Amino acid sequence: MELDVFNNLATGFAAAATLQNLGYALLGALLGTLIGVLPGIGPIPTIAMLLPITFGLSPLGALIMLAGIYYGAQYGGSTTSILANMPGEASTIVTCIDGHQMARQGRAGAALGVAALGSFFAGCVGTVFIAAFGPPLAVLAQEFNSPDYFSLMVLGLVTAVVLAHGSVAKAIGMVLVGILLGLVGLDTNSSLPRYTFGISAIWDGIDFLPVVIGMFGIVEIIRNLESRDLHRVPVGARLRDLWPSMKDFRDSWPAVLRGTGLGSLLGILPGGGAVLAAFASYTLEKKVARDPSRFGKGAIEGVAGPESANNAAAQTSFIPLLTLGLPSNAIMALMMGAMIIQGIEPGSAVMTKRPELFWGVVASMWIGNAMLLVINLPLIGIWVRLLSVPYRLLYPAILLFSIIGVYSTNTNVAQLVITAVFALFGYVLLRVGCEPAPLVLGFILGPLMEENLRRALVMSRGDPSIFVERPISATLLGLTVALVALIVLPQIRKTREKAFQE
Amino acid sequence: MPRVRIKNPQDFGAAAMFVLIGLAGFFLGGDLEFGTASKMGPRYFPGILSLLIVALGLGLGASSLAVKGPRIEPVQLRPVAVVIGVVLLFGYLLDIVGLALSTMILTLVAAFARREVRIVESLLLGAGLAIFVVVLFVYALSQPLPAWWGAP
Repeated sequence: MELDVFNNLATGFAAAATLQNLGYALLGALLGTLIGVLPGIGPIPTIAMLLPITFGLSPLGALIMLAGIYYGAQYGGSTTSILANMPGEASTIVTCIDGHQMARQGRAGAALGVAALGSFFAGCVGTVFIAAFGPPLAVLAQEFNSPDYFSLMVLGLVTAVVLAHGSVAKAIGMVLVGILLGLVGLDTNSSLPRYTFGISAIWDGIDFLPVVIGMFGIVEIIRNLESRDLHRVPVGARLRDLWPSMKDFRDSWPAVLRGTGLGSLLGILPGGGAVLAAFASYTLEKKVARDPSRFGKGAIEGVAGPESANNAAAQTSFIPLLTLGLPSNAIMALMMGAMIIQGIEPGSAVMTKRPELFWGVVASMWIGNAMLLVINLPLIGIWVRLLSVPYRLLYPAILLFSIIGVYSTNTNVAQLVITAVFALFGYVLLRVGCEPAPLVLGFILGPLMEENLRRALVMSRGDPSIFVERPISATLLGLTVALVALIVLPQIRKTREKAFQE
Repeated sequence: MPRVRIKNPQDFGAAAMFVLIGLAGFFLGGDLEFGTASKMGPRYFPGILSLLIVALGLGLGASSLAVKGPRIEPVQLRPVAVVIGVVLLFGYLLDIVGLALSTMILTLVAAFARREVRIVESLLLGAGLAIFVVVLFVYALSQPLPAWWGAP
């Protein structure tokens, strides 16, 4: 078994580590960081914006580049959080707390260095984790039938709801609306159009990219333009301070270890991923610290733990996608979209039928992380300078790249109209305090849910008890019920609110 | 008579939105077949989903009358209209005048999303971006974008 892991990884590295693919990984990490470091742009719009660049590449090359873009975007977001206290997305909010305090105390370099090294270590562990647990899970995945898939998706969506900020009711609503939007287009079973209103552009369903770019990218620009707080001057980082001191190392390595372990585990959960991991790790570090009052005032563990955790989770959240074909969060949904565009149907078949692709992707994750370390430590000065570019010069460029990204996926002007519609929708959501991330997950899972529900009920001739009679499905639904019970219990609900306020 | 007051405007707005979306989902699929659980028609799943959304909206609406919550921040029309307008304008212009000019126009119009407009700066930025995107997308990545007007 252990030998297998390394044999498999060797296959992957042989496929991934060609000069060309290394070039793609480097370019992806570079571009991902470049866009991700821009204030207010998280990994989701970054990946969406850069996705079209990968269309012309081979499937493996494209996935390698995307992995690079993803890690780059995440690291770029951390940089912005530490230096300018502007989180691009939820998983780096935690990094802002102590990271920015460190920066204000003149220790930006140490914070950035620890974030990079912790992320790299977590990335390595995460890669081995996937290599070790991917195959057994893929075997388990072959036992999955329609009812089990349906129950797993229910569990994933409920988890996403629990993790969303703010009102649980609104998050459930967002998931349901997302599923409904996902059903627009031809019904696979009857071949009848649903909710298309005779518009040919949405005949095959609403495309993913206009939805994401509209609701995340464009709305984020509007939101930044609305707020007066645009002139946050980033704290400078001197290059020579970049290496953390011996004391920093001593303080942070246990946090890195804990964050990596926690993140690797939480990343596999459906609905989990980088955000959950980062929050959980911060809470854990605060709990185990000898002096918890240091947190919020520049504790290096508060950077090292969450940064490692979110990167480990970013890796292992590929496991459900690659073995079951189910994305567990919005970013994995994007990755799934990219795979489908490349003609790869994610699922256990990828591992058995195209092992070089599967293991190549796994290997490329490690390569992507290594690239990050290589480019970020020397290039940090450039990212800092980029951060000081005023927003009035940045937003037209961000807007332009978003639009071109949407347009070039299928060169249809109608896509831009859809983008505008979803931007407006996203703005309404912002005003009424609804978070769009659960909607995106529902949007992707909607058609799959309907299909599996339909098949399950055909199997049982309309009897819903099939969902509790099959052991896998029953276990998953049991977990879902337990989770719901957890959030309904007021005591735990209070702690949850507290955790998100921190 | 006690007057009903909205104590949580944000939730009330969200509730209204959910009810509208749910009703639309339910009634716009009206001509499709509903079917039964063992033979689901095209309307079965979206129909049930829409009713769930309506029910959730009604519940949220009721709670927004009872529990206090945040107000809805006023909409700032300028950035919303300009940014979304630019997306549509770009789509309209691209096939007519090509990527380079569309980019220049986008940059210039987008500048009006803020109160202080600096025309010269925007023109320079537009020119720079136009060169960059034409070189990157049209020549380097050979994306199917027309660089100039009249291009196929």
